[in-house]
Amino acid sequence: MSFSRLVSRWQGLALSLIGVTATVWLGFAGQLGLYIHPRYYVFTLVMAAIAVVLIVGAFAVVPTEGDDDAHDHAPGGHEHAHDHAAGGHDLHPAAVARSGRSPRTRRLRMLTGTAASLAVVAAAVTALLVVPPTTLTSSTVAQRSINNASATLPGEGSASAASAGDDTSSYTVKNWSLLMRQGVGLDYFDGRAATVTGFVTPDADDPDNVFFVARFVVTCCAVDAQPVGVAVYRPGWQSSYPTDSWVSVDGTFGADPSVLSTANIVLQPDAITGIAQPSDPYVY
Amino acid sequence: MLVLLGIRYLTPASVTEWMTDPARDFVTLSISVIIESLPFVFLGIVLSSLVQVWLPEGFLLRRLPRNPALRRFTISLLGVLLPVCECGNVPLARGLIMSGLTVADSMTFLFAAPIINPITIVTTYQAFGWNDGILVSRIIGGLLIANLVGFIFSRHPSPEKLLTTGFQEACAIDEAAPRNRRVRRTFLQFSRETSAMMPALFIGAGIAGFIQVAVSRNVLVALGSNPLWSVLALMTLAFVVAICSNVDAFFILSFGSTFLPGGIVAFLVFGPMIDVKMLALLRTTFTAKTLVQVSILIAMCAATLGLAVNYVF
Repeated sequence: MSFSRLVSRWQGLALSLIGVTATVWLGFAGQLGLYIHPRYYVFTLVMAAIAVVLIVGAFAVVPTEGDDDAHDHAPGGHEHAHDHAAGGHDLHPAAVARSGRSPRTRRLRMLTGTAASLAVVAAAVTALLVVPPTTLTSSTVAQRSINNASATLPGEGSASAASAGDDTSSYTVKNWSLLMRQGVGLDYFDGRAATVTGFVTPDADDPDNVFFVARFVVTCCAVDAQPVGVAVYRPGWQSSYPTDSWVSVDGTFGADPSVLSTANIVLQPDAITGIAQPSDPYVY
Repeated sequence: MLVLLGIRYLTPASVTEWMTDPARDFVTLSISVIIESLPFVFLGIVLSSLVQVWLPEGFLLRRLPRNPALRRFTISLLGVLLPVCECGNVPLARGLIMSGLTVADSMTFLFAAPIINPITIVTTYQAFGWNDGILVSRIIGGLLIANLVGFIFSRHPSPEKLLTTGFQEACAIDEAAPRNRRVRRTFLQFSRETSAMMPALFIGAGIAGFIQVAVSRNVLVALGSNPLWSVLALMTLAFVVAICSNVDAFFILSFGSTFLPGGIVAFLVFGPMIDVKMLALLRTTFTAKTLVQVSILIAMCAATLGLAVNYVF
């Protein structure tokens, strides 16, 4: 069997194995939440377990597949008629006849296909097994606009409007952000104490004086992550708190002293503490 | 598997310190698409094996009406029985073609099933209720478009030319395979389908991740309140984000307060049928020419539906 056919035959199972291994490892390491919503954990791990059985079975059966196909039931008895579900390296005699390409062109195409297959496998190993799992960064915050004015968040429709007597001691960045987006004004926020936890990301309009304590809200997977945040007024914050580092901020809400920032309400910090990234960095 | 786990375990966390933030996010987003889609693709392959290997030969086909239009309509409703989103429907549709369903009929199933599947209907209802006719427009619009695609491609003089050579060969092999030794055939089928689907899924996820990092969403979102542009912008968004049809209603709801209903309907109808990841997966089965034709046809239909909702209703 040529190397090209070997690659073509095993590529799907290899990629499946890489994907399943990464999934199982993330599941056991408690890091699946970096990529998908917790409601999918069970389904994802059950399907990974089923896939492991199928992959093991396929590894046992596939090596003998060529013999069966060649001698038992391949149409016309082509030796390698089995080899091309992938549609990649096309050396099937019928296909060759149809394509009308010269042997040299075919060989070149086959080599290119093999190289591409190996590149995909190498990229998959690198992305899924070498690169450490990580959250999205402030780069994506810039792409998606923090507290996007037109955005609604899951659960927003049922969130009750704030009233003066609400217990806000357990409010997260998402809760505060929702209240602001619902149009609750300074008269409610002014002087109200809060403790919020999130990663640091600069205010696009006044990056020297204002930063956001931000979290990503995830509906399904990281692809739909939407950044929300509470603005914190702290001139010169960059020297103490790098962008994307995690902090816990204690403070009191008040009017935004910044003339450049578009945030109307900011947290005036009493204490900012650097913390480790939590095990569940996204909110739902 | 132990070797792969060893790679994961032994790689130091500092290995990616040189990467820029956009590069890290590209990897994170691509992995997210893969981890989210992988179980659905496996489920699709398992269901495909069920149809091809475990159900009696012709079990499905014998029960379908003979009248072509009625048959396609019945097929377009099959998705109600299968809680599989679009990624899983591709291997299933391949399995149906291998089992003898015509290419056009399989297309009808392929494009209707992700919209008509019960989870999609429930999540769309949870997200929008009966508001603005979004749920009804999505279901009826999806069924109409899928049946129209099926009708148009059923007129093709040689339907096999719509398929890639590789897939035609896979069909020929399956046709010649003995009907016994089911467990063995299930494993072989899994091997063949993963050979086709996995490279497409991984490449599609990479493209989707790259586009997410490269294209700012703000521009698309800013266009959401214009009757015409909301439809086109949200269709573009659907193509770019390549999100699973089971949850796309929640996703678009998270942008939805100022989007017009027509844009949302166009998003919810176009996205499950055509997006960047789906095109990569569909390319395993259909020729590039076919996919261009199908994409244009579906885009025009979805845009018409969205504009009708915005301007007429």
